[in-house]
Amino acid sequence: MNKTVARSALAVSLLALSVGVATAGEVVWWTPNFNEARARELVDTFQAANPGITINLQITTTDGLPQRVLTALQSGAAPDIIDVQHGWVNGYAQNNLVLPLDDILTDREDYVPAALDYVTWNDQLWAIPYRIESLAVIYNKGHFTEAGLDPENPPQTWEELVAAAEALSAAGHAGFAITGGGEVGNTIFRALPFMWMNGGGIISEDGTEVLVNTPESIEAVQFYTDFYAKGLSPSSTLENDGTANRRLFIAEAVSMYQAGQFDVGSIQAENPNIDIGVMVMPHPEGQDTAAVLGGWSFVIPTDARNPEEAKTFISFLAEAENQGMLTDTFPARLSAMDLPRFDDPILQVYKQMLPFGRPAPTHPNWVQISQAFFDGVQRILLGDEDVQTAMDGAAAEIEALL
Amino acid sequence: MQKQSTGYLFVLPALMVLGMLIAYPIAYTGLLSVTDNQGNYVGLENFSRILAARATPTAFWNTLWWVVGSIVFQVVLGVLTAILLNQNFRGRALVRSVTLVPWVVPGIVAATTWAWMLHTEFGIVNYMLTAPGIIDEPVGWLTNGSTVMPMMIAINVWKMFPFVAIMVLAGLQSIPNDLYEAARIDGASFWEEVWYVMLPQVRSVIVAVTLLLVIWALNHITIIYAITHGGPANRTLITPIQIFRTAFESVQFNQAAALSVMFFAVAIVVVFIYIRTLASTPGEAQ
Repeated sequence: MNKTVARSALAVSLLALSVGVATAGEVVWWTPNFNEARARELVDTFQAANPGITINLQITTTDGLPQRVLTALQSGAAPDIIDVQHGWVNGYAQNNLVLPLDDILTDREDYVPAALDYVTWNDQLWAIPYRIESLAVIYNKGHFTEAGLDPENPPQTWEELVAAAEALSAAGHAGFAITGGGEVGNTIFRALPFMWMNGGGIISEDGTEVLVNTPESIEAVQFYTDFYAKGLSPSSTLENDGTANRRLFIAEAVSMYQAGQFDVGSIQAENPNIDIGVMVMPHPEGQDTAAVLGGWSFVIPTDARNPEEAKTFISFLAEAENQGMLTDTFPARLSAMDLPRFDDPILQVYKQMLPFGRPAPTHPNWVQISQAFFDGVQRILLGDEDVQTAMDGAAAEIEALL
Repeated sequence: MQKQSTGYLFVLPALMVLGMLIAYPIAYTGLLSVTDNQGNYVGLENFSRILAARATPTAFWNTLWWVVGSIVFQVVLGVLTAILLNQNFRGRALVRSVTLVPWVVPGIVAATTWAWMLHTEFGIVNYMLTAPGIIDEPVGWLTNGSTVMPMMIAINVWKMFPFVAIMVLAGLQSIPNDLYEAARIDGASFWEEVWYVMLPQVRSVIVAVTLLLVIWALNHITIIYAITHGGPANRTLITPIQIFRTAFESVQFNQAAALSVMFFAVAIVVVFIYIRTLASTPGEAQ
């Protein structure tokens, strides 16, 4: 009697554990919802050519995705392929959560080098990048005309950007919206390029030196946060992320803000009256512009059930044509960039920005380092501390993390 | 003796499930807190690292404010509501059900709704205050360092006071009518009835509910995380959120485990008080 109870309890728990385990020849692929339609098409094409492999497509959402992926990777019951952002890969590699993929990448020279740098650790490649993008500045051409500015000659330098923002604010809009809230990444993608252009940064590329309180970085952070201090960025700046800024732009409350190319479509859909212009991110006089390269890669978890089949499928997805089809923004391969869908004139500025895109630093403690920087920026915006004090404080915190 | 061991065998499956779901995670957290991410033993290094972090003392004080502020207002408001709902008036059933709404709304829905209502530019709160000219400039409820924590506490109070009200109301309804009649014969006013009849009778309910609220406030994540993520500049960072962020945003499971162990030590004290109070309650009532 007692044995029976114990046995059935064991059986029930084993049954519970076995749910969700992939069967032989099945590849479970997690891809975000914005890829769904195109991913299904690619899956159909692949399965027709490879009848032995079944692709089980599972759709994720970007909200809370890092936590969800991490939980899956740690749980021991992971899918076979996951779409993740480039910046997350290093942490997975260092914790031995994903497999090295050097054997899949055959034509290294066809990839944008910064994209490969992003997902390389210890001289091994831990993911296959398929999508890259960077931010630029989106502006309202109508507001430019209204404020007496030339909409066809947008600002190119920092001084010109400040002057334009002042003129636009005088005309009754927030001239240039910065972010000071939401996820940390929002502000990193928008403030760090200015620090790079000026010869500063948060930490050095090799991750050994703190740069966040060098004079160049201080100047750039001052430049960035002054948009709020001078009233050129909306009063809600401290709670605004990229999405909130887009809403304010659509409501015509904001005239210029930093955004990716995916914002263009939603602005056109929600407020077709806005004549959208795109400019390269303004730089200090005599310096080059810069941007943080963003985008998505495929990883294979260490606990994947069918890593060989997963590799076959990733090789298929990495073909130029398929990569060009799957990406929402730009492909990571140069040869895929020539596809007709990337010829849209409004995308040209974004294409121009790509060569200036740099990977965000890939330090093991990068998330905490960027949080320390972001907390410093928020202290400045709150008026708690001046730029020097806030960045010195951030530097002390970051020093302890290197 | 024989009888007893059979009993143990019958509860064994349940104990096994409990063991897997509770004992294993606790033991594993303890193990994580003294190892590095490769599994090597590192002693108390994780503890010293997380204690040295700038956010840790901030989070500690914030947690204290959060718990004390939430509890005081939840209990006071909840008890007053219960006394009100215990009176006889027309539409009492309707008011009783409406009072429960904040408690029934899922936390994440409430948090998102409040975040929008309190938004500086789009929020209805600022609209209602600026339109009739009560204030000139919109207030950054969630971005001003001095208003953001009180706002979080206010939302938490709004969310949880109906729970207190319903528990206390149940207690009030079990008070025999004789007590009120006796008080009235002695010439007690309404407030004297509240003070000398109602509150002493529901004292044990209030104590139990308060301890429960303390445990919930200590473990709270939803409202604050959904609205501010602990920001701006860690003004609303409480320890549970710091643990969550250290583990799932910074991927520092070992340091997060160290912080959890310390936090668990504090929380377990409250839990023990709660259990002892509950155990002593029946004796008190008799």
